[in-house]
Amino acid sequence: MDSSALLRLRGVVKKFGDFTALKGVDLDIVEGEFFTIVGPSGSGKSTLIRLLVGMDELTEGSIWLRDGRIDETPANLRPTCMVFQSLALFPHMTVGQNIEFPLKLRKEAPAARRARAEELLDLLRLPRSYYDKRISQCSGGERQRVALARALAFDPEILFFDEPLSALDYRLRKTLEKELKDLHARTGKTFVYITHSLEEAMVMSDRIAIMKEGHFEQIAVADEIYSAPVSRFVAEFMGEVNLFGLRADDAGLITSDILKIRAGVAVDNLDPGGHGLLMVRPEYVRFAGGERAFDFTLTGTLHGEYALGSRIQYEIETTGGMVTVEKLREDRLNASEGEQVTIGFDSAVTHFIREAT
Amino acid sequence: MPTSRSTRIVLYVYGILVIAFLYLPLVSVAFASVSRARYLSFPIKRYSTKWYGEAVESSTVSELLTTSLTVAVLVTVISVVVAFFGALAFARYQWRYRTTFQKLILLPIFFPQTVLGLALLMWFNSLGIIPSWKTAVVAHLVWIAPIATLIVSIRAYSFDPALEEAARDMGAGTWTILREITLPLLMPGMVSAALFAFLLSWGNFPLSLFTTGADSTLPEWLYAKMVSGYSPLVPTLGVMSVVGSFLLILTALAVAWLLRTNREARAAQN
Repeated sequence: MDSSALLRLRGVVKKFGDFTALKGVDLDIVEGEFFTIVGPSGSGKSTLIRLLVGMDELTEGSIWLRDGRIDETPANLRPTCMVFQSLALFPHMTVGQNIEFPLKLRKEAPAARRARAEELLDLLRLPRSYYDKRISQCSGGERQRVALARALAFDPEILFFDEPLSALDYRLRKTLEKELKDLHARTGKTFVYITHSLEEAMVMSDRIAIMKEGHFEQIAVADEIYSAPVSRFVAEFMGEVNLFGLRADDAGLITSDILKIRAGVAVDNLDPGGHGLLMVRPEYVRFAGGERAFDFTLTGTLHGEYALGSRIQYEIETTGGMVTVEKLREDRLNASEGEQVTIGFDSAVTHFIREAT
Repeated sequence: MPTSRSTRIVLYVYGILVIAFLYLPLVSVAFASVSRARYLSFPIKRYSTKWYGEAVESSTVSELLTTSLTVAVLVTVISVVVAFFGALAFARYQWRYRTTFQKLILLPIFFPQTVLGLALLMWFNSLGIIPSWKTAVVAHLVWIAPIATLIVSIRAYSFDPALEEAARDMGAGTWTILREITLPLLMPGMVSAALFAFLLSWGNFPLSLFTTGADSTLPEWLYAKMVSGYSPLVPTLGVMSVVGSFLLILTALAVAWLLRTNREARAAQN
C-alpha cells in the first residue's frame, strides 16, 4: 500500500442493522488524480462517499487524509467538499450568494468574496452577469457549473462528486464530462467521482474502481479495466463482451466446447490443468472469409443487426450462445439475417480470466 | 381551449353567485352596524356611526379585544415554535412510531371542538386549575398547534435534505444551518401557519366558551349578547373583527413582500 497517498481507507466496514453495505474496503487515492468509483445501484458506492465526506459514521476501520485520521471528524470540519446528485443549490440565494456561501462561513470580506466568485464564474465559463441571477433562472447545465463553482470556492483538499450528471440529457452530459475533465486538469485538484455509468468513468478518470456488493472488484487505470478485467462481473459491467469457457489439460492442450482453436495457440494466464473465461470485446471480432486464418473461430447464424450511430452491432447465434460483433459503419457486412457466418479473432486481442480451480 | 361565449357567461354567473353567497351576510352585518336603531331590522331607516364611537369608548370592548388579542398572539407564537420543531422532527428524522405519532397528534383536529372544550374543562377541574384566558390558550393550542404543524410540515417535506447536508459539508454548524438554510426555506410555511393560528384562535368560539372561565373573548361575548340582552354593538364588533383579520392578512402579505424585495435589493447591491 502506498503510504504517500492523499486519502487512505483501511478496512472500512459499514453496517446498517444486519446488512453489511461495505465489507472491509481498502483504498489509496493519490493527490491530483481523477478517481472514479463505478458500480451498479446497491453496490455500496453511495454509502462509501457519504462516509468519506462525513455524513455517516463507519462501523469499523479508519480513513486518513494525509497524516491525520478523519473518520471521527464531523463533516463541517473536514477539508473536503461534495457536489451532490441533486446539486443542493440553495434556492433562496442568488448564484453569487451560493458561490460565496463557504467564504461567508469563513468570514471573508464581501469584496474578497465577490472577487473570488467572479473568478470562479470565469473559470466555469459563466457570464459575470449571472452573479445576481436566481437559481430558478438557471438551466440544468448552468446549475451544474454553479454547484462546481461553489465547491471550488470552498477550496477543498478533495472534491467529491455524487453522480451529479445523472439527471441531464445525453448531449449535455457528454459536454459536461469533457468540461469536468478539463476543469480537473486546470485546477490540479483531487477529484473523487462516483457513478453507475461506465462511459462517464471512462471519459474522465485516471483510475477507476469497480464496486460490487460492498467491496472493490478491481482498481486500475481505465484502459486496463476495459481490456483486462479480473472477473466476469467487471468484464460484463464494462460494456459489451463475449466470454467463452476454456480449459487446459495437464499437458497444456487448450480445449473449448464452442471455439475451434488453431493448433499451437497459447493463452496467457492459462496454466496446465486450469480453466476460465476467454474474453474478447465485440470490436475485436472479425468476420472470416478469404485467406486470413484466426487463432479462434466459430460459426453461427446472423441473428440481428443494430445501428449504434458510428458503429454497427451484429448478433450471431452460435452453439455457445449469442456472440456480439461490432464494426465501423464503413466496414459494414454484406450479409442478411439468417445467413451462416464464420467469425474469428486472435489470441492477442483476447484476455483470459482465470477461475479458481 | 378557447372558452365559448355561453361557457363564459355561465362561469361569470356562477362566480357572482358564489361571491354573493359568501359575502351577503357580511355585508348585511356591515349595514346593521351603521344603523341608528337599537335592534337589527331591515331596511335601515337612519344611518349613523354612533355605535362605532361607543365601541371604541367602551371599556367592555377594550377588555374583550385585549383578552382575544392576548390569547391569539400567545397561541400564534407558541404554535409556530411548536410547528417548526415538530415539522423538522417529522420531515428530517426517522424514528420508530414516527408515522403513528404523526397521525395521533393530528387527531384533535377531527374532534368536535365542543366535546374537546368540555373534556379540557373537566381535565382542568380535576387538576384544580381555575379556568381563565390562560387555560383558553392551552385549549386553543391543543386544536391549533397540530394544524400549524401540518402546514409547516408540508413545506418541510418539500425541501431537499441535501441542502442542509451541503451547508454542513461546506463548514456550517447546526445553528448556522438553521439560520441560513432551514429557517429561510421554511419561512413561507411559518408565515401561513402563523396566519392560520391567529385567525383560528381569534375567531374561536367553542373552545373558548368552555375554557375561559370568568374571562371572555370577543366571539363569546358576541354569542352571549345574541342569546340574551342584544347589544347594538354586536354587528359593530363583528365588522371590526373582520376588518381586523383582514388588516392582519394584508400586513402579513406586505411584510412578505418587503422581505422579498429587501433580499433582492441586498442581492443586487452585493
